[in-house]
Formats: sequence, C-alpha cells, structure tokens
Amino acid sequence: MDDLRIVERSVDTQGFKITARGVQVYYGEKHALKDVDCDILDKTVTAFIGPSGCGKSTFLRCLNRMNDTVSIARVQGEIRLDGEDIYDKRVDPVQLRAKVGMVFQKPNPFPKSIYDNVAYGPKIHGLTRSKSELDGIVEASLKKAALWNEVKDRLGEPGTGLSGGQQQRLCIARAVATHPEVLLMDEPCSALDPIATAQVEELIDELRSNFSVVIVTHSMQQAARVSQKTAFFHLGNLVEYGETGQIFTNPKDPRTESYISGRIG
Amino acid sequence: MSDATANGIPASGAPAKSSLLTQDALMRKRNAAEARFKAYGIAAIALSLSVLFIMLWTIFTDGVSAFRQASLTFPVTLDAERLDPEGNRNPEEMARVTTIGYTNLLNDALVAHLAAEGISTEGVDDGDIADFISRGTPAELRDQVLADPALLGQTITVSGFASGRIDGYLKGRVTRETAAVDTNISVEQLDLADRMVEAGILTSGFNWRFLTNPDASDQRPEMSGLGVAIIGSAYMMLLVAIFTLPMGIAASIYLEEFAPKNRWTDLIEVNISNLAAVPSIVYGILGLAVFINFAGFPQSSSLVGALVISLMTLPTIIIAARAAIRAVPPSIRDAALGVGASKMQTVFHHVLPLAAPGILTGTILGLATALGETAPLLLIGMVAFVQNYPAGPFDGGMLDPATALPVQVYSWASRSDPAFIERSAGAIIVLLAFLVVMNIIAIVLRRRFERRW
Amino acid sequence: MSVFLLIVVLLVLGIAGYVLGRGRALSSVGGNPRKLHSLPGYYGWHGAILAILPALVALTMWVIAQPLIIERQLADFFPAEQIENDSQRVLLLTDVRRVAQGLDTAVAAGALTEEQAAMIRTEFGSVRDRLATVGVALGSEVTPQVLQAAQRYRELAATGGLWRMIVTLAIALGGLAWAVRTTNGDLRARNRVEVVILGLLILASTIAILTTIGIVLSMLSETIRFSTMYPFADFLFGLTWQPTFQGNSELGLIPLLWGTLYISLVSMIVAVPIGLFTAIYLAEYATPRVRSIVKPLIEVIAGIPTVVFGLFALVTVGPFLRDWFAAPTGLGTSGSSVMTAGIVIGILNIPFISSLADDIINAVPQSLRDGSYGLGATKSETIRQVVLPAALPGIVGAILLAASRAIGETMIVTMGAGAAAKLDLNPFEAMTTITVKIVSQLTGDTEFNSPETLVAFALGMTLFVITLGLNIFALWVVRKYREQYE
Repeated sequence: MDDLRIVERSVDTQGFKITARGVQVYYGEKHALKDVDCDILDKTVTAFIGPSGCGKSTFLRCLNRMNDTVSIARVQGEIRLDGEDIYDKRVDPVQLRAKVGMVFQKPNPFPKSIYDNVAYGPKIHGLTRSKSELDGIVEASLKKAALWNEVKDRLGEPGTGLSGGQQQRLCIARAVATHPEVLLMDEPCSALDPIATAQVEELIDELRSNFSVVIVTHSMQQAARVSQKTAFFHLGNLVEYGETGQIFTNPKDPRTESYISGRIG
Repeated sequence: MSDATANGIPASGAPAKSSLLTQDALMRKRNAAEARFKAYGIAAIALSLSVLFIMLWTIFTDGVSAFRQASLTFPVTLDAERLDPEGNRNPEEMARVTTIGYTNLLNDALVAHLAAEGISTEGVDDGDIADFISRGTPAELRDQVLADPALLGQTITVSGFASGRIDGYLKGRVTRETAAVDTNISVEQLDLADRMVEAGILTSGFNWRFLTNPDASDQRPEMSGLGVAIIGSAYMMLLVAIFTLPMGIAASIYLEEFAPKNRWTDLIEVNISNLAAVPSIVYGILGLAVFINFAGFPQSSSLVGALVISLMTLPTIIIAARAAIRAVPPSIRDAALGVGASKMQTVFHHVLPLAAPGILTGTILGLATALGETAPLLLIGMVAFVQNYPAGPFDGGMLDPATALPVQVYSWASRSDPAFIERSAGAIIVLLAFLVVMNIIAIVLRRRFERRW
Repeated sequence: MSVFLLIVVLLVLGIAGYVLGRGRALSSVGGNPRKLHSLPGYYGWHGAILAILPALVALTMWVIAQPLIIERQLADFFPAEQIENDSQRVLLLTDVRRVAQGLDTAVAAGALTEEQAAMIRTEFGSVRDRLATVGVALGSEVTPQVLQAAQRYRELAATGGLWRMIVTLAIALGGLAWAVRTTNGDLRARNRVEVVILGLLILASTIAILTTIGIVLSMLSETIRFSTMYPFADFLFGLTWQPTFQGNSELGLIPLLWGTLYISLVSMIVAVPIGLFTAIYLAEYATPRVRSIVKPLIEVIAGIPTVVFGLFALVTVGPFLRDWFAAPTGLGTSGSSVMTAGIVIGILNIPFISSLADDIINAVPQSLRDGSYGLGATKSETIRQVVLPAALPGIVGAILLAASRAIGETMIVTMGAGAAAKLDLNPFEAMTTITVKIVSQLTGDTEFNSPETLVAFALGMTLFVITLGLNIFALWVVRKYREQYE
C-alpha cells in the first residue's frame, strides 16, 4: 500500500497509464458521454460508479475501443495509453485490445474446453513458441484467477459446464493470459452469488500488483472494498473523481453525496 | 511487466513493450488474413449474384424472341373449283377438302405472288418456297373458309406465320452457317427470305398468339403458344387457394390457440415441418396412386394437379399462418377474454383479423412457389400434349386435360427443334412475370399492414 | 341427382336451418334476445350445422363406398380365376368403368336412348364403333362380359344414386327437424357450435398426418406389389439398371443411388462454401444497408422455379462445361453430366444454406463475440474460432437439410444429368438419379402391373426414407441448437 501512496502523490504524466481528455460519445442521436476528462493510474484499481445509464460502461468501452463494434457509436476526444492516442488512425484496435483486456458483465466462456478458452488469447497473439510454453501460460493464468485447483484435472472439459463464479474466473484467466497492461471489468460480479463475488473481489485485489484495473460496478460497497480511486458518473458526465476514501466519506459534489447516501440511483 | 515472472508467468511469454502506432510482423499477417477472409465473403456474394444475373440474362435474351414472329402477307385467290368441288357451298361437303388442298393453294399463290412482284427465285424450286409457309397457316385458312363459304372465289390477303426456320433466320437463330448443314433449309432460301423482307412480304411483329395459342406439334414450333398452360395454371392456382387457405388457417388456429401440449400435437408439429421438406416428386407419386389410380380422377386434369400441389403447399402455408397468429400479442387475447368473450370468439373476432395480412402474405408466397412447381405434375400426366382448351370453370373445365406453365417449359425444352428452346425460355419469362407480380402483391401487403407490437 | 346438386340442396337446407333456428329461439323468449343463453346467430348456426353436417358426412361415405360395393357385385360376370388375379381384376374393372362412361356419354349426346344403352348387345354390331361416333375412344373391342358388366354397373349406379339422394336428404331434414325441436332459450347454442368448430379445426390440423399416411401407404402398397414381382434384394443391391419392355429387366438401385449421391456431393461442394461465406459476410461484415439490398437479392435465387434452373443447365451450363472443360480434357462429350446437374443444384441451394446459416450465426450471442474482441482477436479470428464453432451444430443441420433437398431435386437432374444409369467416377459423364428414373418410369401411358412401372414406387419409397431420415435428424440438430441459446 505504501508504494501506491507514493505513486499517487507524485502525480505527473509518467504515472498515468491512461489519460482521457474531452471524450464525447454518441449512440446515434443520443449524447451518451459528455466531455469526460479522466486519468487512470498504473497498478491501481479504479472504480466507475453511478446510476444505470450514466455512461460508466460507455466510457469503459472507449478505453479499448469496444465501441468500434457498435455501428451507431461515435467517439470524439482524445484517449492516450502510455502517451499514445488510441484513436489514432494508425492504431489497430486489435492490437490495442491485446494490451487493454476486458472482462464482461455476464460470464461468456467460449464453447470450447477450459484449456482452449485460456489458450485462445496467447494463440492468436502468437505469444508462445511451444506447447509447453502455452501450458505454462494456461496454468499460470488459471492460478492467478484462483481457478487452477478446481479445474486442473478437467482442462479438457467445456468451459460452459462450470458454475457461474467459476465461469467468470475463467474469463478473468482468459483475459490475464494475453498479458494485458490494463484490465477493464464491466460489472464482473453482477451475475454472481455473494461467495463467488467475494472470490472475484479478492482476485481483483491481487491483480492490482500487475495491472491497472478499471472496474465498473453498481455496488458502492464493492467499489469501496476493491478500489483505490473512484469516479462517479451521472447522466453522461464525470461528476467527481478522486480517492475512494474521500469520495465515500467526503464527497465534494452534492450529486455524489445524493448518490452515496442513496437519494438518487 | 517484471512482476510477471514473480507470479509464475515465464518472462519469455510476455510481449515486449511495443508502440500501438506500429504493427509488428504478426499483426500484419493477421490483418492480411482478415482481409482475405472478408474478400472470400465478398467473392461468394459476387459469385452468387453474377450467376443469378447470367441465368436471368441468358433466359431473357433467349426467350424474348418468342414474342416476335415472322409473317408472310400475300394475296390468295380462293379458287372455288379446288375448295368446293361439289359447288354447293355446303360447309359439310367442303370439309372433305383437307388441309393438304389448302396447302397446295397457298403454295401456288405464294409462288405466283413472288413472280408477280418480280422477285427472283433463283436457286430455289417451288417446294422450297412452300417451306416458307407455316404448316399451321393452311389449317387456319381452312377454318376461315369453312366458317364463311362466301369467301370462295374472292381474292383475299392472307397474313400467316412463316415457318420456324425462316422465323429463326429473321431472329438470328438460323444463320447461313447453320443453314449450310441443315437439311431443312438452304442458303438460297435465306437469300430469297432477304429479298422477301425487302419487298415487304415477309415481316416480323409482336406475337400475341404465343400467349393464346395451344401447344403445337414438333413440325410447327411457330404455332405453339401458352394458352392451355396459362388456363391450366390459373385453374390450379384458384383451386389451390380454395383448398389450402381455409385448411391452413383452420389448422394453424388449432395448433396455435387450442392445441394442448401433448404427444399428439407434437407429432403433428414434427410432421408438418418434415412434410415441408419432403421432395416434391414424392407428392407426385402420392397423387398418382391416390387421386388417379385409387379415386379415379381424370389424368392430366387441373383438379388433380391442384390437389397434389395443395398437399405440398399446405405445410408452408400452415407455418406462415402460425407465425402470423403468434405475432399477435397476448394482451389482445387477454383483453377480449377479459370482457367475457369465449375463446372461440376471441380468436375469430380479434386474433384472426389482426393476423390476416400476415396469413395472406404467406399464402401468396406459398402460391408463388406452387406456381413454379413442376416435378409432381409430370407424374399425374400434365406433361401430355394438349391441343384443346379446357372448358370454362363452371363447365367442368377443371376436369379437362390441361398443362401448366412450368410443365410447358419442360416439355418444350425436351423437344429437338431449337425453336422450342426459344419458346421454352419465352414461357419462363411469362412464368417469372407472374411470380414477380405475386411477390410484389405480397410485399405491398406486408408494407401496408405491417404492424409492430 | 348429381353430387354437386345434392350439395347445393344441402346448402339451401342449411340456410333454412339458420333462419328457423334463429327464429325459433327468439320466439321462445318472446323476441327478447337478452333472455337467450347465446346470441341469436348461434341458434341459427346450430340449426344450419345440424342440417348440413350429418348429411354431408353420410354423403361422403356413400360416395366412397358405392363404387367398392358395385365392383364387388360385378365379380359374378367374370370367371373366378380372372377376378382373383389382382392385376387382371384392376384391368377388367377399368374396362367396365370406361365402357359404362362411354354409354353415359352416348346417352348424354343423344346417340343412344336410355333403353338402347341398357339393351345394346355385342351380337348386334361393334359397340366400339358406335361409341366412337360420339367421341368415346376405346382401346379394343368390348367383350360380351364387359358390356354386360358395364350395363349392370350403370343400373347399380343409377339405383345407388337414387338411394344416395333419399338417404342424404332424409338425414338433412331429420337434423333440421331435431334442431328446430330442441331449440329454446336455454339451449347452450354457442357452446355446441363452438364444439363443432373446434372439431373442424382439429380435423384440418390432422391433414398433415393424413398426408404422411397417404404417402407412406400409397408407396408401401405398390412397393410390396413390386416385391412380389421382382426380388427385393436384387433391387436393393443390384449393380445394373436396365429396364426392358419384354421383361427380364434388371432393376438395380445402386447405380441410381450412386448418381444421386455423386450429384448431391458436387452440389454441396458448390453450395456449402459459397452459402456459408455469403452468410458470414451478411451476418458479420455487411452494413445494414448492404445487407438490406444483398439478402433479398440472394433470396431471389430461392424464388425461381427449379425448371428454370433446369433450362439453364440444359442450355447454358451443360454446353459451357462440355466445350471448356470436358471436351478439351477428353473427359466427356456430353452436355448432361454430374458436373452440370451438381453445379446448378449447388447454385439453387446457395440461398437455402446462406439464409439458414445467417439465422444461426445471428443466434450466437453477442457476448461471445465481445469476449473474443475484448481479448484482441480480429473479426475473422472471432468468426472462425468462436462464432462458427458455437454455430456448428446449427450449420450442420442446415447443410443436412440442403443435402436432402439436393437428393430430392428432380427437374434439374431430369434436364441436366442425363438418363444413363452408370457406376462411374468421371464427373463429366452423364449419369442418372433416383428422381429421374421415377419420372421416366411413370410418365406417359403406363399400366400399373409390371415391375418396370412399379419399381418407381420402390424408388420413391427409397427417396422418401433417405430424405425423411436426413430431415428428422437435421431438424432435431437445429432444434437442439436453438434450445442451447434460449
């Protein structure tokens, strides 16, 4: 934790993994995200909170250009990863997504074996030269997702046969296996029961040592538990962004306070 | 990423820190594969569409000439001596003069007319000139004279079809090259044809009789037409609509609204979807065995054709009607039941009127498919050579031998004279025109009544 | 009274039933419809149904039963050995019917009086010639037995027709009377009418089952007759197909089955990749605008009648393949070939595969694609490694359905494949299929008592079994697939 504090204090462009300036998103006619500025730190868990439809998921999907797959979406503004504009014409979104991985709301294991689910990313990105190397990555990723002990004897079975919590951890393992620099998580626990949620939250905390993690969540308790920085979105605006502790105990904006205290949401 | 090693991931597996703005070799390879894959898709679509286009184009260019026909116009003196030897102007006695008598008369008249016009007949004898006249023309002249014996002794201007080869020459199907190897026509005859066109004896015009004439024998392709086929197809479609629409609606109402979920209705459902995929020829066998051999209905009749096609089309119509009924939201039913209507009243007063446009659209599309169906009709004898028009719909015309448009396409295509290929393609143009009209009606209906709940 | 006229009379009685039922119900409550159990119209329908329905059922049964009973009566006219032989009996009875109809026509045309028709004897002159004068053509001279049987047939038919009328009208009037008698304000007319309507609906829905039973029975009975004339094992496993008119035909299924499967294989090689790539492009790459134009255009192919494809094969594809591929390579000289028919059937099946596969690909949840894109996969990698494997069962089902269509396709092979039954590997050779042979054995004037004709029913049965098996399996696969993502 001490490391983190140091990083946080020395706020300069070097410490930021992602810097976003003036991001606007339109879904057809709808102005979904209005002029958002946000800097995301490396090796930190950043939580995006806010009521439904506030734009938090939209902003998350801008960070790895997943909005490109929605034909009616238009993104304006500037988002830089390590100083490079990810919306630059020369950037291949495919290459970007290899660096900025994503875990989704609903567990979505591919209809393949557990092994192939995890090996999928490394294979397409050509990360390995041999089968044993690939085996190593699969094992390490599953261990990292705290799933190895449960599935090590049935790696050949379909990933869809696992329980909900296991499926979501499989999806995390799958995302981790490509060695991303940033991991985006879009309400990763909303489809899970409390025990599975606790497992995944624990996992998120461990992942912080390697990646910058951005998590969108509906649950304020979850944001308080897992994140160091919190951003509050409301009606497409980034209302307030700061240290998690400060947001929850001493919000500066009245809207944030209303949300935290349960008056809107 | 140095932590990666600490966490058990081999360092070699981690990618080197790279810029987003440049693509490495692997990425270039992957993007090339992506482009290739997309190109396959475009190629597949381009291929399908170009084959469709080529097919329609060849059939159109082959068939459009069937709507034109070369005619010969020349004066004929109806010699009473030859056509009414008894001299009583009695049609019954005159009928003893067969078509051959008229053929000779016409031949002589044409030869005389060419001589009178001063057209050189170099290289052709009188028989060659006779070949210009369609074999159907004398029969027509005979009918004309028998109907009006007063014509005898007069000189009338006959405008009759030219024979198939001459017609083919004006359309470009017969050329000097093909004539050189064709025993039925000579290059000299073609030269004469050129001179006759110049003199205005041989002309070409729109051929209405292609749509009205019945079929004709192998020797006179120029006389053949689609009259019987169009009537047969019209009768069949009428009967198919009468049979399938009530049946299809009744069956789909039951299955959607009343049927309990049990093994019996499951069996019906599986049955319907399987029947929709049974090869059409099997229905032909069914029709032959049940309607003709067992029930003794007349062969080649529109009625049997319609029964067979109805059985074939019914599953399609049931499937479409069920989809339309299912699309009516449950809230409508709840509302009607809520004010005390019985289930039956709900269905007939509310659900059915709302589903009607969908059912009608599905039925029209089903009928369009049925109109093009050929194979089962071959088995119930509709491929027979039918030269008489069926009687009117209320005089038992649906029991008379008839043929159908697609069957006519097939039977013309299987004849040896290339003139019939042109007519076969022409028949397809007529068939496709009907299909286009039916589809447009269906699309307009759908557009007009489409409702989004 | 003819059946048509009887039905008209029944309809009139039905209208009477409606008016009487409605009127009686209203008068029973003193003209105040609110006191009725059901709306007045239902009492009318109740009357109409009782007047028409039982009589109509009786009439239908009569019409079916009468010829069977009459034919049994006619057996006395012929020697027992002729009647016991199935095929001879069929022929004799056909003759009798034809002569009887001829006499009917003659009477109707005024060439014979009713008495003459009943009295006419073969001894007095040629019946054939007399009938020919009124336009009834008979194939051969009429034997005395047949003529007498035909006259008896006419007598019986006339008596039957009279009784048919009496019975039908009696039942109709009885139903009408009963309806009028039972109608009063408390009668639950609506419920009764609805039960009848429901019965009719159920009847309509069983038509599919009846059709299937009809198909199976008609083919099965003739196939069994075929197997009594020709050893069935020789049919199933015979390597030669050589029907002759003198008998001693060799009717082996194998060459036809080979031609069928070979042509279907070629067609699938054409249709599967093109159809699949079309579907992939339309589902995954095309913009909504492109899709809305291209998809209907592709489906136009499916709306074109197969006979059009047949002509295309005959006139364009066949000669093209012959002149550009078969002849230069020395593989064949015929325009009709496995290739011609296979390629054209393949084209016909492209829209079939592409629209089925399109539906199936669209049913793959978007979350799977997102998952793959989120890992940095390209679109084609996602399609090949995630979408297609997920859609595989459904696509296999679609391909099987297309294969079944190719196997059962008739017009294209009739016009493009040829008529020679061969066991050959050369795709530029003319070969033939089951469907072609069904058409050629059953087209034209055929008598249904030789193995050469009846074999068509056995072929039809084979075709039905193969395609039905494929369909059931394919529909099952597709259904399982749909359930997976619902």
